[in-house]
Amino acid sequence: VLPVRWTRYNPYYLEPEPSREVYRIPVTELTDEQKAAQELKAVRPIKATPSGLTSSVFSDPTVSKFVNMMMEDGDKVLARSIITQTFESMKRKQVEKYHKAPATEKEGIECNPYTIFHQALENCKPIIGLISIQKGGKYYQVPTPLTDSRRRFLAMKWLITECRDNKHRRTHMYEKLSQELLAAFMNEGNVIKRKHDMHKMAEANRAFAHYRWW
Amino acid sequence: MALTRLNRIVQLSHTVSLTRPLHGSGCGLQLGAATQTEAPMESPRAVFRTSESEPASHGEQHIGQFYTIPPSQVKTIFPHGLPYRFQQQIKTFNEACLMVRKPALELIGYLKKADPTHPSVRYVLYGERGTGKSLSLCQALHHCSLQDWLILHVPDAHLWVKNCKELMASSYHRARFDQPIEASVWLKNFRVTNERFLKQIKTSQKYVWSKREFTDEGRPLGEIVDQGVTRVKNASDAVGVVLKELKAQARPGSYRLVVGVDGVNALWGRTTLRKEDRSLIDPSELTLVHNLRKMMKNDWCGGAVIATVTQTGSVFTPSSAYLPQELLGKEGFDFLDPFLPVLVPAYSEKEFESSYQYYRDRRWIQHHTGHTEEGKKELLFLSNRNPAALERLCAFL
Repeated sequence: VLPVRWTRYNPYYLEPEPSREVYRIPVTELTDEQKAAQELKAVRPIKATPSGLTSSVFSDPTVSKFVNMMMEDGDKVLARSIITQTFESMKRKQVEKYHKAPATEKEGIECNPYTIFHQALENCKPIIGLISIQKGGKYYQVPTPLTDSRRRFLAMKWLITECRDNKHRRTHMYEKLSQELLAAFMNEGNVIKRKHDMHKMAEANRAFAHYRWW
Repeated sequence: MALTRLNRIVQLSHTVSLTRPLHGSGCGLQLGAATQTEAPMESPRAVFRTSESEPASHGEQHIGQFYTIPPSQVKTIFPHGLPYRFQQQIKTFNEACLMVRKPALELIGYLKKADPTHPSVRYVLYGERGTGKSLSLCQALHHCSLQDWLILHVPDAHLWVKNCKELMASSYHRARFDQPIEASVWLKNFRVTNERFLKQIKTSQKYVWSKREFTDEGRPLGEIVDQGVTRVKNASDAVGVVLKELKAQARPGSYRLVVGVDGVNALWGRTTLRKEDRSLIDPSELTLVHNLRKMMKNDWCGGAVIATVTQTGSVFTPSSAYLPQELLGKEGFDFLDPFLPVLVPAYSEKEFESSYQYYRDRRWIQHHTGHTEEGKKELLFLSNRNPAALERLCAFL
């Protein structure tokens, strides 16, 4: 019977450690904190590993988060295959461009789909967000700073909804996603436009900033 | 990675692993090397390419190295022959590079030594899914084309027994069925490969296509092919005529004919096509399959028949079956018996290393950990040295 991950754990459960490097350090070279952590592991129970967590060197937590956000009805196999196909199609386009370009331009072409993905996500993250606050019977859109996780969530959400809603119905998701990611990498495209719109709204509603009391 | 679509890749890599010791026979292949650009096993960086672009001049020392096929040859020899993923790879890397491997080398050696006066030998390439049977077949056909043989390449016989949109009753034989689209597409590609032979070979009898159309005796075969391409209704019969003429005239004095069929087990398996009364069609009731079966017999001289048995794309066969006996069935095996079986195994250590270096050279492995030892070990483990699995893994890394 495999341990199933619960939603809520008792606080004394410890997080699982997937990376192999930690276990390869010989006992003599452990720092004090690491020694304490090892001793704690002997007495405390450990949470069950989520299925997306691997000890593979190729695993990326941002990509896993994106896969989870794309997933529908729990079909992670399908979501992950779409993402891998996206990376493959992005890489194909860029590598083809690279091989056909003259030697002077070769350095400028970015072929790594992971760097493109991270950079595109970075470019799509809004700096300031809007929050709905009720005052005097009316709701106002108040500008507010966002946490890192909220910014990342918004960027991914916008990318996914943009690809699902505003593209031609007969194109595959991986095709739509690869086009949108490459555009966002170049700071073009509808998602960047949406981020700029958000910034403009925040600038326009500057006056209501003091409605926020935290 | 339990829940990923690496399920499919894991299926590919669940092959019977040929465990070779790291410092054993893998190095033995290199001992015969003398003049080629040989570097020791530890740093094979520049070794994975060879400048010999003719398969005829490849030898044991070239195993594991990549040779380039010039784009002009790719367009003429393989208008429809290469697997789809390889075509994508050619488009991306801007070059067509094939790895020299032992099964293809063996096959080419047999073809070189075969006596044209003896009946044609039938070679059957078999192996697990994704080990490189289709590409070995393509390599052998490339060699034959450079030696000026006539190439009859059926890229995937499974496409003829499933998913046919237009099935019509044959005009020539009441009980058979024609497939006009598949036949005309094949004829078009056949014409591209063998332009020059089509002008030389003449028909040996008169063929009547309809009340007003006929082809005289002594006309070049190109006319039959044109007839099949323009009048799509007669395409399957045109294919039959072409095959019959080529087989009849393939004597030791004239041209040498090589028949390459990928997925020959489709000819003796089952189809998914149904007649109008919803009863299943037997493969022998299809004109294309019937005529192709006649080519697979060894009652003609001056050529060879190279076939692949594959489970990928076949209908109603279990995915674990890869041996010729299992895939061909009793009928097919008896028809093809005696044949020369050639096993296509997964990559050896050296071939895997070579493939990995090629992908790195072509900027295909982009992930930063893919360039480390850890990454390479992980690729080796996940792909189990299966060529197709490695290709699919490196595609998104």
